[in-house]
Amino acid sequence: MITTAFRRRSSTHTAVAVPSTPCRSSVPWSRCGGWSRRGGVRLGFVAVLVTSCAIGCNRSRVSTPGADAESVGRLRTTLVAASGGGQAAGEQAAAPTGTGWAAIKGRFTFAGSPGDAKALVVDKDTEVCTKGGIKLFDRSLLVDASSKGLANVVVFARKTSRVKPLSAEQTAESSQVFDQKNCEFLSPVFAARVGQPVDVHNSDPIGHNTNIAGSSFNQLIPAGQGTLYKPDAETGMPTMVTCNIHPWMKAYVVFRKDGYVAVSAADGSFSIADLPAGETLEFQVWHERSSGPNGALGLDNAALKWTPKGRFQVRLEPDEVKDLGTLEVPVNALGT
Amino acid sequence: MPWGREHNPFVAQAGFMKTLCQLRFSSFRFRGGRSAPACVPSGAAWLLLAVAALSAAGCGRTPAAAYRLNMVEAAKQRLTTEQQRQVATVLEAMFGTPDEPIALAETGLDEAKLRLASGPVRSDIVGRKNGLYREHCVHCHGISGDGLGPTAAFLNPYPRDYRPGVFKFKSTERADKPTHADLLRILRQGIPGTSMPSFALLSEPQIDALAEYVKYLSIRGETELALMRAFFELDDDAKGKLPETREFLVDETLTPVAEKWKAAAAARIPVPDMPADIDLTASIAKGRELFYGDKANCVKCHGVTGLGDGQANDYDDWNKTIVEWKKEVAGEKDATAASLGRAVLAGDALKPRTIPPRNLRQGIYRGGRRPLDLYYRIHAGINGAPMPAAKGTISPEDIWHIVNYVRSLPYEFDGELGADRPMVARDRF
Repeated sequence: MITTAFRRRSSTHTAVAVPSTPCRSSVPWSRCGGWSRRGGVRLGFVAVLVTSCAIGCNRSRVSTPGADAESVGRLRTTLVAASGGGQAAGEQAAAPTGTGWAAIKGRFTFAGSPGDAKALVVDKDTEVCTKGGIKLFDRSLLVDASSKGLANVVVFARKTSRVKPLSAEQTAESSQVFDQKNCEFLSPVFAARVGQPVDVHNSDPIGHNTNIAGSSFNQLIPAGQGTLYKPDAETGMPTMVTCNIHPWMKAYVVFRKDGYVAVSAADGSFSIADLPAGETLEFQVWHERSSGPNGALGLDNAALKWTPKGRFQVRLEPDEVKDLGTLEVPVNALGT
Repeated sequence: MPWGREHNPFVAQAGFMKTLCQLRFSSFRFRGGRSAPACVPSGAAWLLLAVAALSAAGCGRTPAAAYRLNMVEAAKQRLTTEQQRQVATVLEAMFGTPDEPIALAETGLDEAKLRLASGPVRSDIVGRKNGLYREHCVHCHGISGDGLGPTAAFLNPYPRDYRPGVFKFKSTERADKPTHADLLRILRQGIPGTSMPSFALLSEPQIDALAEYVKYLSIRGETELALMRAFFELDDDAKGKLPETREFLVDETLTPVAEKWKAAAAARIPVPDMPADIDLTASIAKGRELFYGDKANCVKCHGVTGLGDGQANDYDDWNKTIVEWKKEVAGEKDATAASLGRAVLAGDALKPRTIPPRNLRQGIYRGGRRPLDLYYRIHAGINGAPMPAAKGTISPEDIWHIVNYVRSLPYEFDGELGADRPMVARDRF
């Protein structure tokens, strides 16, 4: 229908413009030896139609593998089998193999130059956030100028067979403070134990909200107040914390059940104490800017069996304080 | 065509070519009544031939409906084809296909309801309508519940992606799942201000079946995310393959997701009644004070005018996932991974949109306009959206004051009514 209507209009027009054209060609693009307007339009129309038919109405999508029909049947039998039927425990923690406690320490350095930190766009509550002309900068790559130390690298134990019971003073310790001031989270990367009370505080004279991604924690924190938060689950890799009122505010938190987690200090140093001795421990390393999967920091370090997934292994003797030395992070290990 | 037939020398030709020639001939009539041309394929004929050929060839046989993997997460986790296949296989074993869904006992889902909602649109032996999801929901929410149906890109806001298991409008705390009644309510009422219509004309069992199917898709999607993320957590000696034991797949992966849905019914927010003797004028004034104050801070996002023109360049969780992934793809150094990332962004994600804070002058409330609904929104915040929770910070009584003030906003007025000063605030701004 569209075709007919279009052609009629077009034909009438041609008839008026060139009333007695002597030649007539069935080839649209060679009418009277020149480019015919009508033929050109027609050809364009055909081209559009053919192209759209070829492309179709679906978005082009990456192809994905389908389910393996044979395995589906086999798996379904496994899945519907009555539970507790003496299935071998797969991922149970291995039986403890050692006694005593030990510690690790080390220091991360950055091989390259961090360049100038990007200034953040602060366009709300400027009377507080840029008070006295202070400027806020992107803190994703903090390198100590003199020692080259790389700050805010997270190291945590993946699995341990034993966890040292908390001492009386550790149990009694008051909450850790996760504070924000001048529209900035004071800890760019914050670690805590699951169940340990965290005082999410606001030291600014204006209100904030603290939104921990993946946790459903998103609370209003009125000016000068705080709210107590007890992390109820492990985060896996560190998860982002933002303030929706001031979108430039960003930090990361990591919660671990066993508390075997450290964040490297301004000079790049870190240490984890009270680790179980006598077993092979695997540690996970993370940095915000890491180019590895999920922020995993992969280093070239055969001695520690460092993998591209950012994991290394150590075995500790009782009461040992193992110094991993200086761990240099090459430029290409970090992305943008 | 009333004319031309007697002039056509090919009138005796049968079928398709005859029609073609007639069409072609008719178009040439306008050139000044020349005698009938020979029936060689002209531009028009070529066009018709092309259309006919393409229509006949079609775009292939329609394949059976299949779930699509969450490709954004798969690309993010850098899963190999083999790993993607394992996820697809486990999911099919656990949840079946769009035509034949199954529900393990651990999910707590009713398979009879799922069968009513799933599959192609058809009537069963007693004349009952089946395939309700594909009749009413799939064009927006997609066959996998990924919010990527064919119409999705044209809607604002985008249809909900059920796979992360995050729902906005519910009577439970922020971290909890909605109750079954919450889903029924959304289906019956629709979501004002969005493209989600009311399905109140469906029968109770039909709405019930659809709510069950939404839960099914959500549990399936969340399990899929958990499986994809589990690859990273594997030990190196697992050789990049997930353990196919009941313990890992059901007890550690499926059950934690399903348990949250089961717990929802008992997790409703306790709401104290609004004080019966409340002085509405005083309450609104108190609510106004809180709205603009530093404690509740509503003004920061909803704006000094209440028009939702405060902090407005933020994203909700669904869009933020894409924004973050986009950044990652832009910074990707590996060319293959970068091109895969771009392809996934083009085919499996919608263009990210910011989420504007609600304009409170319009009297349109997505989660419902009952005072109770507003209480829930303020108490628990809106999961997945920037709206934070006020619970713990603002007392229940104060929340009621804010509710009263917010409800007065579309009609807030001081002074004389007039032609240039209508009662309804929406007309003033």
